[in-house]
Amino acid sequence: MTLRQLAFLPFLILWNAAYWTYERATWQYDLLVLAILAFVWITPPAWLNDPTADGLGLIGWLRLFFE
Amino acid sequence: MTFTGLIGATCMFPLRLLIAISVKLRLHPNVLTLIGVLINILAALALAQGRFTLAGTIMTVANIFDFIDGKVAEELQLGSEFGGFWDSVMDRFSDISLFIGLVYLYAQLGRTDYVVITALTMMFAVLTSYTRARAESLISKCKVGFMERPERIVLFMIGAFTNRMAAVLWVICILSALTVADRIYYTWRELNHERTGATV
Repeated sequence: MTLRQLAFLPFLILWNAAYWTYERATWQYDLLVLAILAFVWITPPAWLNDPTADGLGLIGWLRLFFE
Repeated sequence: MTFTGLIGATCMFPLRLLIAISVKLRLHPNVLTLIGVLINILAALALAQGRFTLAGTIMTVANIFDFIDGKVAEELQLGSEFGGFWDSVMDRFSDISLFIGLVYLYAQLGRTDYVVITALTMMFAVLTSYTRARAESLISKCKVGFMERPERIVLFMIGAFTNRMAAVLWVICILSALTVADRIYYTWRELNHERTGATV
């Protein structure tokens, strides 16, 4: 991989994530599913002003633990 | 095998049994579709009351019917053009019912912000299927974009079971908007390519 290709790699990853052409059950699909699950479960509900969620979420619990 | 492939294969075991039972009872696939929608309306009522775990359980049952109808149609050789049309229309009924349940809940809680987010998510969810259907009347296939119905339904169930509906709505909203944009771009590119190809 050339330096030029390496410099464009983040843009390429972003473009491929936004313009999604991958099938289900591919490693790219798995990666996005894991990212979505991480966002849903780790984000503290207070950050999103969630009207119904209870509990702090994983980040909230970790912050509480380290404080 | 990938992580999601493994989950899919595991879920197929009980579903195969249900498909076999439905085939044995010769249940008409269109009736299975309708039963799925009616159960989904119950899930929407549970969502409207903020009873998320119950809603998630009902959604799971409803989507089993939704999943097996096509397979039963294949097995019984009852697949028809009307069956496909009926299935698509009923899917929209199910989807919109769930969103209306959430709109009602957030309105009851006085949360206008989430009423708007749910409405936007509903709009992009409907546009996701509309853009594909309309595109496929012009080009042969338009299957780009991540957030299709199965992803949406699974996310809805995850949000309901783990009480993280707001995060799920944000994810569905943003990824559905991207899916709509992907399909518009893909269709434009394909039509442009066809036109350029025709003039050469």
